[in-house]
Order: sequence, then structure tokens, then C-alpha cells
Amino acid sequence: MNKEKDIRILAFESSCDETSTSVVKNGSEIESLVVATQIKSHARFGGVVPEVASRHHIEVITQITKEALAEAKVTWDDIDAIAVTHGPGLVGALLIGINAAKAASMATGLPLIGVDHIMGHITAAQLVDKIEYPAMALQVSGGHTEIVLMKDPTHFEIVGDTRDDAAGEAYDKIGRVLGVNYPAGKTIDQWAHQGKDTFNFPRAMIDEDNYDFSFSGLKSAFINTCHHADQIGEKLDKYDLAASFQAAVVDVLAAKTIRAIKQYQPKTFIMGGGVAANLGLRERMDQEIAALANPPKVILPPLKLCGDNAAMIGAAAYNQYLEGDFADLRLDADPSMELPYAADYK
Amino acid sequence: MKILSMSTATSDLSVAIRQDGQLTFAKMEKNQRNHSVDLDPLIEEGLKETGLTLKAIDRFAVAIGPGSYTGLRVGLTTAKMLASILGKDLVGVSTLKALALNCAGRNALVVAALDARNQNFFAGAYRGQEAVIEDGHYALGDLLDQIQALPDQEVIFTGSDFTKYADAIKEGLAGKQVTFAEGDDNLLQAGQVALLAEKAAPIDPDQAVPNYLRRTQAEYDWQKKTGQAFEADSAYVEEV
Ligand SMILES: [Zn+2]
Repeated sequence: MNKEKDIRILAFESSCDETSTSVVKNGSEIESLVVATQIKSHARFGGVVPEVASRHHIEVITQITKEALAEAKVTWDDIDAIAVTHGPGLVGALLIGINAAKAASMATGLPLIGVDHIMGHITAAQLVDKIEYPAMALQVSGGHTEIVLMKDPTHFEIVGDTRDDAAGEAYDKIGRVLGVNYPAGKTIDQWAHQGKDTFNFPRAMIDEDNYDFSFSGLKSAFINTCHHADQIGEKLDKYDLAASFQAAVVDVLAAKTIRAIKQYQPKTFIMGGGVAANLGLRERMDQEIAALANPPKVILPPLKLCGDNAAMIGAAAYNQYLEGDFADLRLDADPSMELPYAADYK
Repeated sequence: MKILSMSTATSDLSVAIRQDGQLTFAKMEKNQRNHSVDLDPLIEEGLKETGLTLKAIDRFAVAIGPGSYTGLRVGLTTAKMLASILGKDLVGVSTLKALALNCAGRNALVVAALDARNQNFFAGAYRGQEAVIEDGHYALGDLLDQIQALPDQEVIFTGSDFTKYADAIKEGLAGKQVTFAEGDDNLLQAGQVALLAEKAAPIDPDQAVPNYLRRTQAEYDWQKKTGQAFEADSAYVEEV
């Protein structure tokens, strides 16, 4: 057997409110994954406060680096490269991971790889199963709602994007109206399963000939409905509100994604990002894809890999490692980094 | 002892190397916007010029605060990762103490201060290396009252551009002889950080955080609204 040398990458992720480190072998095997979450801190403020996030990241960074190595039962001598998210994200938060990774690269002499956070989210699928290309991903989180076409492991293009709010952002905003603590997605999802779609909120852009989304109209319709009920002293059923909101989000996401799958005929379909943990969306996509004439292989990463984590960065970095795509010590944060748009993007 | 020191607390980026009591490398890049991009290349330049490797360094020293919040984190993240990975000492030096050292030869009370906007300063007062007014966040008037109550006749200000406050300072310190440091004496220099780091006690890289001297506005607002006390910062972060 011709066994090639294993490639181990130690990865850092600190783009928002999770500080994470991981050792990933050959881009597919998680040897360790440490995630320090700040949710409890930001819950005080009803959303992520960037300066607070940066302060928490620096508190834990050396400790979780040691833990990632210890949990994987390796030392720096066993590591082949160091990877880090360099955007998009909160600039001050990104800088902790970036400076930690660069210092680690200087201290060990190991090569450095800068990874796009969104490519990381999507490539989390590689930790679950082999991705066959071309592949397509629906990436939904607090900051992003995108349909991404992946020609190969390192060339990703956006074919659909949100024109305003991200889906996860809309969840948090209507959550505030319902008095649900930040982050609201999980609770709304649970309530939605106990209610019915009775309010018929708008499904923006659902029939338009593109793969783009818009959630601000839905959010406004939701808020107006609640305000109006308040004014006339009517009490609305929170489960039905949640179910109606979620049905509108899921309808649009599913309709657009299925249409994109029909056009681009990917061999693999991946769902990534925090909102991919939403059960309503998962169930619906499962059904719709199973009903296709020529269904792609579906990879739904487990919930643990849907949130921000460094293992996904280690997976994406491996693909870049194989192509010799390395960064130098001048690597900087790029808070508004974007994947390129496909040539036929409408 | 070989010390590599860095300062990213102000807009001037600087790195220095001190070997057995001698400064062998010191370089400052003034008015830089992006310390995160320039710090590591400057460290590499210092190592190259002195013929040292990172492994040969005994102590990593950093200006730990106060200063620009983002800047402080760039320097401390770098210093604590280097110390942690290489198993070497980490030393955090007061930004203000290092600044005060610029004027220490002049036998006066040295007030080191960084402008924190709206007539507020991150400031401390030093006699030599002795802190007489603890590093803190002070309204200008309060700071001047404290200095005025001290017996020192001669007072030197260093750190910020004090020109727009010169009248208020002289009025608040009536009867004392007030001067303002000039040129590079107002700049935080990594060489001073290295000098102070020689005798300072090392700190644990896993525990080291910048000495911001201020909580965030969001935290103050939250406390005002809820009346709750802050928990330890670490209590808000959970490994999952
Ligand atoms: Zn994310």
C-alpha cells in the first residue's frame, strides 16, 4: 500500500463570538476541536458587541491552543501547517486569531494559510463525507444567506445572495419582538414546530428569475402584525407566529435552492452555517431533494459543525495546502471579504 | 538575558531587542495604522539584524496597557503566543511607566498620559520608576487636582499632544513648574519596555489580558440598566 504522509493542520477561528482551535488530519478527520463560546456574555446586550467579543477572544487564545494539541495527542512537531480565518467577520475579533496564528507560525516555522470563513463553513461537509464536484451549498447564518457553486475544492462562486438581511439576522430581530433571548433561532424553531402557518407572511422574490433572497419585508410584515395586535389589544399565538415566520423563510430558501440545483446539477449538495441547524429547514430540504429526478448526494453537517468552529477552517485550509496557497506574516483581517459572484449571476 | 519587546499600544509601532543589558535593536514606525500587518515583519527584521532566533529569546515583553484597545491586543496576542509556544517568560509593562521613563533623567514628577477624548486621559504619575498616581482613567480636572496635592515642584507631561490643554494644565497646577516633553520623548518606545521588563516578574500567558483600564460602554450601560455586578470575565465564556 502506498500510504502518503498525513497532513495535520492546526486551525484558529475567531471571526465573531466563538474562539476555536482544532487539529484536522488530511482535511477530513477531526483530531481535536475546542470551542469557547461567549454567548452568555453577549446575551446581556441582546447581540454581539464587537469590543466585548475581542476582549474574550484574547482571554482564552493560548489556553485553547494548548488544549487543541493535547486533545489531539500531538505536539507542534506533528503539525504541518497553521490556518486561520481572515475574513469576513468582526475586524477586532478576527485580529486575535490572525495574530495568534502568525505568532505560532513564526515560533514554529510552519507555513500559514488564510481561510475564507464562508468557504470554511461550506467545507465543514468534508469532515462528514467526501464532496463530489461540482457541488452546491446553501449557506445560512446570522451574517449570510448565500447559494454557492463549488467548481472544485478551492473555487467557490456565489449564484444567489441576500439583498438585505441575512436569514439568521431576521430570526434574531423577530425574536426580540417575541421576547426571545438572543440568539433566537433555536427557540423560534421549537415554537414553529408547535404552531401553524396562519399569518401568510410574504415570500419575497420567490418567483423572480434569480437565486437571491430578501428578508427585510418579511421582518417588517411580522413586526407590523405584532404592533397592530398590540394596539387593538389582541393576543396573538406565539407558536403560530413562529410557525408562520419560519414557513415563509423556509419556503423561499427551499424554492430558490431547489431551482438552483436543477439548473447547475451539482453532484453534492451541502447545507452550512448556523441556520442550517434549523430543523424546519433541514426537514424541508431533505424532502424536496428526495423528490428530485436526479438528486445530488446531500451532506448536512452535524449541529456542532454548523456553528463557527476551527475544524471547518482546518478542512478548507487542507485544500489550499494541497495547492500551495500560503499566506505570509503580513496576513491581515478582511472584515468584508466576499466570495466572487458567478459569471451568470443575475 | 535576551529580551524581545514590542509596543503596539499607540499609533507608533516599535520593536526592540535587549541582550545582557545592551539595546541591540530598536526600531519605530511612526503613525502606523495597521500594527497587525507590520508587527511580525518588524520582529523578523530585529532577529535578522541581531542574528538571533526566536528560540534564543528568554523573555517576550509587551506594553500591556493602557492604550488603543485593538493595538494592545495585537501586541499581547503575539507576545503571549510566542511565550506560550516557546516556553519562555512573558512580561507585561505599563505603557505609562514606559512612557514616563523617557523623561526619568530630569528629576521631576513625570505625568504620562494618553488622550482618551472628552478631556479624559489614561494617566499615571511617576517619580523615577515609582508610581505616585496609579495608572487610571482620569478626567483632566481630577488628574490635575491629584498632581497639585503632591509636593513635587517640577512636573513634566509626556505621551499625548497636550497643546490644546496647555492652558488648563498650567492653571490647574498653578505654582508648579510645568513642562511638556518634546519630540520622541512623547513616544512609547519598545526599548523602554525592554528595560523595564528586565526586572519585572513574568506573568502567565494563559491569564494575561491587556490592562485596558476601562470596561466597554456596552458593559457600563448594562450595569446601569440592570444594577447587576460584573462577574469575572472568564465566567462569561464557556467551552462547549
Ligand atoms: Zn460563521
